[in-house]
Amino acid sequence: MATTTPTTPTKVQLKVGQRLRRQEDPRLITGTATYVDDIKKPGTLYAAILRSPHAAARIQALRTEAAAQAPGVHAVFTGADVEGVGPVPCAAALPGLRVPKHTILATNRVYYVGHPVAVVVASDRYLAADALDLIEVDYDPTTAVADPEKALAAGAPAVHPEWPDNIAFTQNTVYGDPNKAFAAADVVVKQRIVSQRLIPTAMETRGVVAEWSPGDKQLTIYSSTQIPHLLRTQLAIMLGLPENHLRVITPEVGGGFGSKLNVYAEEALVGFVSMRVNKPIKWIEGRREAFQVTIHGRGHVDYVEMAAKKDGTITGMKIKIIQDLGAYHQLLGPLIPTLSVLMLPGLYNFHDAEANVFGVFTNAAPTDAYRGAGRPEATHCVERIVDILAAKLKMDPTEIRRKNFPAKDAFPFTTATGLAYDSGDYAKPLDKAMQIVDYRALRARQAEARKQGRLMGVGISTYGEICAFGPSPATPAGGWESATVKVEPTGKVTVMTGASPHGQGQETSFAQLAADAFGVPMDDVVVLHGDTAVVQYGIGTFGSRGTAVGGTAVHLALQDLRAKCTKFAAHAMGVSPDEVSFEGGIFTSPKTAKTVTFQEVALEAYVCRNLPPGVEPGLLVTRFFEPSNFAFPFGAHIAVVEVDRDTGEIRIERYVAVDDCGKVINPLLVDGQVHGGVAQALGQAIFEEAVYDEYGNLVTGELMTYAIPKAHHVPEIETERTETPSPVNPLGVKGVGEAGTIGCSPALVNAVVDALAPLGVTHIDMPMTPQKVWRLIQERSQA
Amino acid sequence: MKVRGEQTLPLEPTAAWELLLNTDALAQAIPGCEGLVPLGPDEYQMKMKIAVASIQGLFAGKVRIADRNPPNSYRLHIEGQGKLGFVRGSGLLSFSPDATGTRITYEGEVQVGGLIASVGERMLDVTTKMMIGHFFNNLAQQAHH
Repeated sequence: MATTTPTTPTKVQLKVGQRLRRQEDPRLITGTATYVDDIKKPGTLYAAILRSPHAAARIQALRTEAAAQAPGVHAVFTGADVEGVGPVPCAAALPGLRVPKHTILATNRVYYVGHPVAVVVASDRYLAADALDLIEVDYDPTTAVADPEKALAAGAPAVHPEWPDNIAFTQNTVYGDPNKAFAAADVVVKQRIVSQRLIPTAMETRGVVAEWSPGDKQLTIYSSTQIPHLLRTQLAIMLGLPENHLRVITPEVGGGFGSKLNVYAEEALVGFVSMRVNKPIKWIEGRREAFQVTIHGRGHVDYVEMAAKKDGTITGMKIKIIQDLGAYHQLLGPLIPTLSVLMLPGLYNFHDAEANVFGVFTNAAPTDAYRGAGRPEATHCVERIVDILAAKLKMDPTEIRRKNFPAKDAFPFTTATGLAYDSGDYAKPLDKAMQIVDYRALRARQAEARKQGRLMGVGISTYGEICAFGPSPATPAGGWESATVKVEPTGKVTVMTGASPHGQGQETSFAQLAADAFGVPMDDVVVLHGDTAVVQYGIGTFGSRGTAVGGTAVHLALQDLRAKCTKFAAHAMGVSPDEVSFEGGIFTSPKTAKTVTFQEVALEAYVCRNLPPGVEPGLLVTRFFEPSNFAFPFGAHIAVVEVDRDTGEIRIERYVAVDDCGKVINPLLVDGQVHGGVAQALGQAIFEEAVYDEYGNLVTGELMTYAIPKAHHVPEIETERTETPSPVNPLGVKGVGEAGTIGCSPALVNAVVDALAPLGVTHIDMPMTPQKVWRLIQERSQA
Repeated sequence: MKVRGEQTLPLEPTAAWELLLNTDALAQAIPGCEGLVPLGPDEYQMKMKIAVASIQGLFAGKVRIADRNPPNSYRLHIEGQGKLGFVRGSGLLSFSPDATGTRITYEGEVQVGGLIASVGERMLDVTTKMMIGHFFNNLAQQAHH
């Protein structure tokens, strides 16, 4: 390798920390990205799934002969045909958890509307759908229950006949001495708080293409998933295939939000069908199908109590969580409310608490992780009950919060529920948010508005969250993440991440890390993910872990590779590695006044003309990062609203989000995550609610009946940050994927309650639809 | 879902009663009917294409007539299902003479389930009323011929 005499290196601006636009966006916004439905294999057949119209029924007879003979139909399979396929897995290992056997097609009973009963495979998707009409099923409907509180009541119909109490599990956890704290309290406030069932509504519905290759006995599954490797492992078990005969490819994913953090019946079913008919099979979920059967989120009824001293010091908290689990457990469902329990203390310094969780079966779609997964529910409860306490004590909501924050020098701070909050300065984002809105002036303006009879409100939420999932012992399937970094002979850098980003922008942020590590342009870096034949094993993207855990694995691999490159460079320049400096893609030996470029090192590492002693050829490193703890981001959101007395409509005048997610790699990506998170929580706060009728029909089963926020509903979101690095990983990052969702809903509800406070309103449950708000105003105005 | 309303037919009650029990007339009048086959006295097998909002598909089921009280009233039981869901219901049809012919009042309850319920009651309510309206309009046209 040639060495050259150095010229004065220009100071290189690092990519990390810069507001860079996403590498992935051009293909996404020009329609040239490949989603599952864009996968076109020659000879593909299309699958359509017959689903139960009943929430609860026995299947007395099932006749498929007419459908099997319909034009274009190749095969029809029912529950009896797929008996050999293993059950849909649940990874929640809670003590005493009742796990119903979740076959991929119903056998003799159906448990919810949408329950898959049969699959038709035809030469096109329309013929497949038409043939569903010809399948005759004799159902004997039984009584259903879709409301979790009704399911717990005596005499309720049993969702699963073997468990007449409808209880999947209970969990009682006592921290400290809550009874003593409550007995000694000056004041106790109580509230029933609902975090309603939500439908995740990713823009791209689920979809699977399966291709069985009979020659080498290899099954390739293309699926819109957040967890390709975990899916591969689970599908291998379900289908009885050796894991190395199965390849999962995740092309572009049009939104997941937790709804694709799962192993679904259809993923195994489509694979099974492909193996049986020896053809590629495609199944693309319809929107209404997605509403019925893709997991739902939230579904909590919470009974919350808080104990405090007269001066506002919080002394204890109790919660009863009723979690609507639906008819079956999906991958993580029963674990979600246990995260709510962990998150219960929020940002507050008290140590006596009790939580009682009731996981309840209902004749409804399974609930599971949805953006925030258990933490928005908990944060909503804490931030609401703190406001209720403040109102009772006639304290300013910012003051009561400030009073109960742990001191900034108290970190790592052990919470009531045993978490060790890694780092924090909770007053800082609150101060900043208050400064942005000019809090004092805002309250003066509110007083003025109230004199005029206007309903103006200010809502505060100081949230914390559990991110960077997580230490392996605290997760059901490993909490580490992996990265392979390969420097190609031409000096281009390929990063393979086990995190499977699907909209978070890690093709950009990981390229920033690599660009800085080797002093190469962003365009020299390619980030590969989502193909189990390309990427070493990985866990996936969820729980705001992509950067904190996946990014750290990339960082570690980059460090190792840089060290190896330095050995090559040092050898070429005739010095020892510790005599080499590196900047802007150039290795320099100040002693010998020589330089070699990164690209020269890359080539030498493969052609090996002058291999350093004891160094192997090639530039490829795989690292696995196991975090020692979660990371705990936090922040303060302030919403300013005005409620229209005549229509009940809520106008959001200002929305300020000050988030602390530790070190920031790309501020534009962080803003994007906060914007999306806030929009999604705004959906829960004002618009969205999955409603089942008394017979277990999902009556909000499409976008006409289930309102999601549109662009014009989302206010301008003013984002700001404070930066408290996390000591848990060398990047100092915490995670921000769920922050907006967790921080926002209590800010909005607190603002509306504050607006309606002059009418005596102390609580309102979500969604705060104009109708609900208007009714409340009418009732209170007449009272 | 409660269903209730009234319609008139330009026929005297006995003729109206007979028309409303005439298989061919019913098959022609029921919107989307793709076959009405008698199974026995007062019982039919029916296939019907239903379209509500953007959901459409075939329902197969049974229609049964009970509590005959000619020419004053009878009770209609229906049940049908398809990939879109199911419909179950029953209602009382009462016939009374009025100035232009016969006033037919109906009152009953319909339960709709499965995918078709996802459009919400507001849409189902409107669609049900519209279909009942079409049904009687079709019958009225037959009465004119």
